[in-house]
Amino acid sequence: MEEVKAYIESGILELYVLGQLNAQEQTEVEAMASKYPEVKQEIEAIEIAMEQYALQNAIKPSAGLGDKIFEKIGLPGNLEKAEPIVKEVIKPVVKEAVVIPLNAAPYESKIKALRIALVACIALLVVSIIALYNAHNQLGSAKDQIAELNLNNEKFTSTVNFMKQSNADLQKIIDMANDPGWKTVKLAGTAMDPKAKMTVYWHAKGKHVMVDNSKMDLPINDQQHQYQLWAIVNGKPVDLGVFDVKADSTHILVNMKETGSAAAFAVTLEKRGGSVNPTMNQMVVVGNVSI
Amino acid sequence: MATTKKISLSEEELVSKLKSRDTIAIQALYDMYSGALLGVISRIIEQTEVAEDLLQETFIKIWNSADSYDSTKGRLFTWMMNIARNLSIDKVRSKDFKNSSKNQDIENNVDFIDAQKEVTFNADTLGIKDMVTALKPEFNDVLNMVYFKGYTHVETAEELNLPLGTVKTRIRMAIMELRKHFN
Repeated sequence: MEEVKAYIESGILELYVLGQLNAQEQTEVEAMASKYPEVKQEIEAIEIAMEQYALQNAIKPSAGLGDKIFEKIGLPGNLEKAEPIVKEVIKPVVKEAVVIPLNAAPYESKIKALRIALVACIALLVVSIIALYNAHNQLGSAKDQIAELNLNNEKFTSTVNFMKQSNADLQKIIDMANDPGWKTVKLAGTAMDPKAKMTVYWHAKGKHVMVDNSKMDLPINDQQHQYQLWAIVNGKPVDLGVFDVKADSTHILVNMKETGSAAAFAVTLEKRGGSVNPTMNQMVVVGNVSI
Repeated sequence: MATTKKISLSEEELVSKLKSRDTIAIQALYDMYSGALLGVISRIIEQTEVAEDLLQETFIKIWNSADSYDSTKGRLFTWMMNIARNLSIDKVRSKDFKNSSKNQDIENNVDFIDAQKEVTFNADTLGIKDMVTALKPEFNDVLNMVYFKGYTHVETAEELNLPLGTVKTRIRMAIMELRKHFN
């Protein structure tokens, strides 16, 4: 055993591993190795140390050198198909062809810019739609308001017109009071309707006849009938025109047909448009002219 | 860039596939050992192009002389490493290489390569490098000359003016240090 130890320590095994021995010496070492397991073990330990050292001081070859070598050896073209039947890690050499655009950077930045633009466009679109929707709603409410204002305006206009008319009529009534030519004739209800009453203004010289709505108290007439005013002239009824009694009459004074003379005024309910002769049993009110 | 998937096989599988001339073996060998072998070659020849040419020659020789490998005589990597070393030493000593290369003294190769090449050190490697430089200089010099620079141990003895037995012992001591680190 001493012999083996001395042999190991001589350093010949290191030279063997480093390929420093001639053929004869090599054969000798190999014979020793097959004879003594310690020698074999020692050789393997040296080998592993040198292998580890080489692996840890590896230098990466240029890309493509492997393919060049495989080509020279004459490997089948399609390396992916070579499937090893081994239990260990099986990772076929797959060199994928990767298309790298020559102007990759500007291309990518362009795409990036376009993406940003797209996002911006979408955002703008959304904002625009919201704004449009709001504007539409506001326009709708503005239209409603305008319609309402128009309605109010019409109401005011009609109110103003009504008031103007009323004012004019009232003014006229005041003027009539100051004008001695005007006569006020109060008509009282007949047996047909004792509670009915109305007032007629008459200017004999000017031949004007007017009915005062504000002092009228007659039942509202229907669509088929109208009230007809008669002047009794020389004992005969003279037609002075028809009028309606409505709840919302706009005029206070209603002009009737003219007459220069009258002993009394009477009102009958006639068919719409009036009659040539009064229907005496439909007389509602009557009043004499006081002289 | 395409990601290259590495093939890794066990030693027995590698040997049997290499001998049966299964092409997966050469791909696996390349994936597993091309870096290590280029590291060995580059210790001897610093020019990248020449070193890579030699790596190519090495693999072709591995493929073509697979039959001559005897697993009872040593590990596969030892055999491959010696093919790479022998081809590199032959190249360095060839007439055309000496004429064409106005390179630096071979003595400076180690540092030159370390400075020039992207040596694929991993975290452990840094430790090894420190460890190797931490070897006693006389051990280090001998290992450098034999392992890295392609001197024979006889030439080394002449160069360093040492007895052959001392050179052998120093090589052994240096490798013992490496073994301590790896075992």
